[in-house]
Amino acid sequence: MILSSMRDVVFGYGKEPVIDQLSLDIHVGEFVGITGPNGSAKTTMLKLLLGLLKPWSGSVHMNTEQLRGKKLEIGYVPQQVASFNSGFPSTVLELVRSGCYHKLGLFRRFTLDKEAIVERSLREVGMWEYRHARVGELSGGQKQRICIARALAGQPEVLVLDEPTTGMDRRSREGFYDLMRHYADVHGLTIIMVTHGLEEVGNRLDRTITLERQESEEWQCLSTNSCNVLSGLED
Amino acid sequence: MFEYEFMQRAFWAGGLIGFIAPILGVYLMLRRQVLMADTLSHVSLAGVALGSIMKLNPVLSGFAVAIIGALLVEQLRRSYRTYSEVPVAIIMTSGLALAVVLMSLRMNLSKTFSSYLFGSIVAVSNIQLWMMAGVCLIGLTFFFVLRRPLYNLAFDEETASIGGVQVKGLSFAFAILTGMTVASAMPIVGVLLVSALIVLPAALALRVARNFAAAIVIAIITGLTGIFSGLTASYQWNTPPGGTIALILLLFLLTGISAKKLISLYNRKRHRAVKQQQTATLYIHSKSNT
Repeated sequence: MILSSMRDVVFGYGKEPVIDQLSLDIHVGEFVGITGPNGSAKTTMLKLLLGLLKPWSGSVHMNTEQLRGKKLEIGYVPQQVASFNSGFPSTVLELVRSGCYHKLGLFRRFTLDKEAIVERSLREVGMWEYRHARVGELSGGQKQRICIARALAGQPEVLVLDEPTTGMDRRSREGFYDLMRHYADVHGLTIIMVTHGLEEVGNRLDRTITLERQESEEWQCLSTNSCNVLSGLED
Repeated sequence: MFEYEFMQRAFWAGGLIGFIAPILGVYLMLRRQVLMADTLSHVSLAGVALGSIMKLNPVLSGFAVAIIGALLVEQLRRSYRTYSEVPVAIIMTSGLALAVVLMSLRMNLSKTFSSYLFGSIVAVSNIQLWMMAGVCLIGLTFFFVLRRPLYNLAFDEETASIGGVQVKGLSFAFAILTGMTVASAMPIVGVLLVSALIVLPAALALRVARNFAAAIVIAIITGLTGIFSGLTASYQWNTPPGGTIALILLLFLLTGISAKKLISLYNRKRHRAVKQQQTATLYIHSKSNT
């Protein structure tokens, strides 16, 4: 079953497109890695998929209406989220609990079941011991981990991660990739992850999408001083 | 001093605004929109001038223009995503320019204006008091009912949007509430210091609080204490209420920051002493073993 599809999508920030005629399908339950050099529009592609950006032309469709008979829940960890305001007055536990707010609505209280999910998410990313710490006191890698725990606490059906392991040490990164594989296998979670560490993720991924700058356009970029990055796809 | 009706009204008004303005300040600071309060107070001043010229109630016209200004700032903020402070500067300059020009058209307005600029206890009328009560009630309901989406919005707009928060609608509603609060706080602290009432308690709260609820509570307590002590001092020493309140709030902020620094310095020293003691104990143990 196709969860999301892009057809002949063109998008850019200036006059020139950074994504040109991009088409792809993401299937339910897949663990997909998106890779490519800097400036190859990986984050832009994610934002187009999530509907945060509107394409110049082409179509982007996310099957948000129905999956297992209910509205599709999406968890998103953006690239810069770990660099959030270090003065944000919140404990780790409070921040991760906020990942469940959309399920609880405005007034429903936290159930034991939800508390257990929050605890599990924090334990899975190895941050349970820091639950009473103020988020601003954490390191970059730790902030990244609690942002992932926050997304997991919302029990999403689709998890969209933009370079989620930034700031983590190698052991944490390996553990994180194992955890994502586990979520895909056991919970049927669809994971779309932008990463530079493809060799580290190894065979845990179901599929890799590589965005590339076209060589001829690279030369044009040098001569005109405008970054005209055209993206292609490789499975 | 409570035998005077105007002082009773001033304390009522201060209590109401001291409750809502610091909560608003916490969210404004977290959303990096601190200057919005200052901007809207200048815009509101233009509204007051416009109301006087058009023979409307200046309180109501100032209130309405502040809301329109808030909506404009929010709309422009969406257009200038990369430079979100630009719309604030545009609206602030326009508001002040309009106020000055309109004021020059009616020279007899200058006395009324000085009470709006610097705040005056006697300037709080019954209609303003009722307006403040209304704004306070609306604001408290807004912040209580929408506390969860507002928390997510303050943390990160993009993830909030993906998580189902109606970011655009909530941001506009928040902007309207900001305009309403600023317009109703003007008579007590004045245009020039209205942002002090919103920002200073929040700045202290964000500095010392460990969690979100504590930040809100600390901001409210600071705001109320600052306003009540400022009004009392203003009455006793015959000083302008706005400036007195702002100075007391500033004093609270400086004391809070210094106290926090001292506590962290003490904790660091204690931690170092414990470490040194542990190292010494280990050394003695290893010596006695050999």
